[in-house]
Amino acid sequence: MRLLASTLLGLVLLSGCQGLRLQPLMGVNTRLSTPGDDRSPSMARQGVVWIAPGPAGQHQVRWFDLASGMGGPLPGLNRPDAQPISVSVDAKGSRIALVRSLDGRTELLLYNRNLASVRPLMLVPAGVPARVALSADGQQLAVQVSRGGRWEVEVMRVP
Amino acid sequence: MRRALLLLVLVLLAGCSQRYSAPGLGDQEDPALSGNGRLLVSVVDRGGRRSLRLVERSTGRELPLPGLRQGQPHRSPSLSWTGRYLAFIRQRGTRPEAVLLDRLSGRLQPLALPNDRLPERLSLAPDGQQLAVQVLRRGQLDLELFRLPGLEPDLPAGAPLP
Repeated sequence: MRLLASTLLGLVLLSGCQGLRLQPLMGVNTRLSTPGDDRSPSMARQGVVWIAPGPAGQHQVRWFDLASGMGGPLPGLNRPDAQPISVSVDAKGSRIALVRSLDGRTELLLYNRNLASVRPLMLVPAGVPARVALSADGQQLAVQVSRGGRWEVEVMRVP
Repeated sequence: MRRALLLLVLVLLAGCSQRYSAPGLGDQEDPALSGNGRLLVSVVDRGGRRSLRLVERSTGRELPLPGLRQGQPHRSPSLSWTGRYLAFIRQRGTRPEAVLLDRLSGRLQPLALPNDRLPERLSLAPDGQQLAVQVLRRGQLDLELFRLPGLEPDLPAGAPLP
């Protein structure tokens, strides 16, 4: 009896140490898998955006719709001469914020997936953006910016 | 005239952004917002220790994060819709470890990834039910999605229950 109780106690303690056991989305993960490095994931309610290796070796932003189980196009967002650095999506998957390097500059952009439109966002005073994060409602954007050799974080409205 | 107009636009744009520095803090990196932007979490350098800082944006007040005094450096924080759940990566010895803080209960749980995967970056779904992880596996960075079983969904006020 004592042995059984101590075994049970041990199991309970062990399970507590292991924490929350994550369940892989098996069917999805095999479809997301690409040869090469995948970076900067950001989850929407029904999808995910991230930076993946493109067909010609350059990196590009990709969107995967969990409801349909398929990737979706992002017309006008990816450029072969640009290097995406950080990406973030809102809950609906309609707005995507992107930091990318182009022509020796680093720029901050907002992409509207429904309109396939890209809008540059200006940092004032000027700075070099690095990581970006959209709020789930898509109305606010937080960005890590380098100014004067220091990293700062600022938040802006994106109506 | 054109210069004045440009200046006005710049001033207006500058007024649209807020910064969240505070005395004694060094670099601030890796920001993430709650669903409506009420809360901002970032990684800040406090005397050489890179740890999470959670701020209520309307007041600028720093909110307590109980149980997070160890495991620095912290990185890649991600908030659920109301900010109830906070997922991030901490250091456990020589290995990075993904963890989830339930700010409602104060419970901090390690997120056990399948064998041979090390977490590099995280993104929590707004309702807290799924997690996207950039994992390092056999020298390659992969994207993998996981379900978080047994967690109460974190939904915006008025949203229909699933």
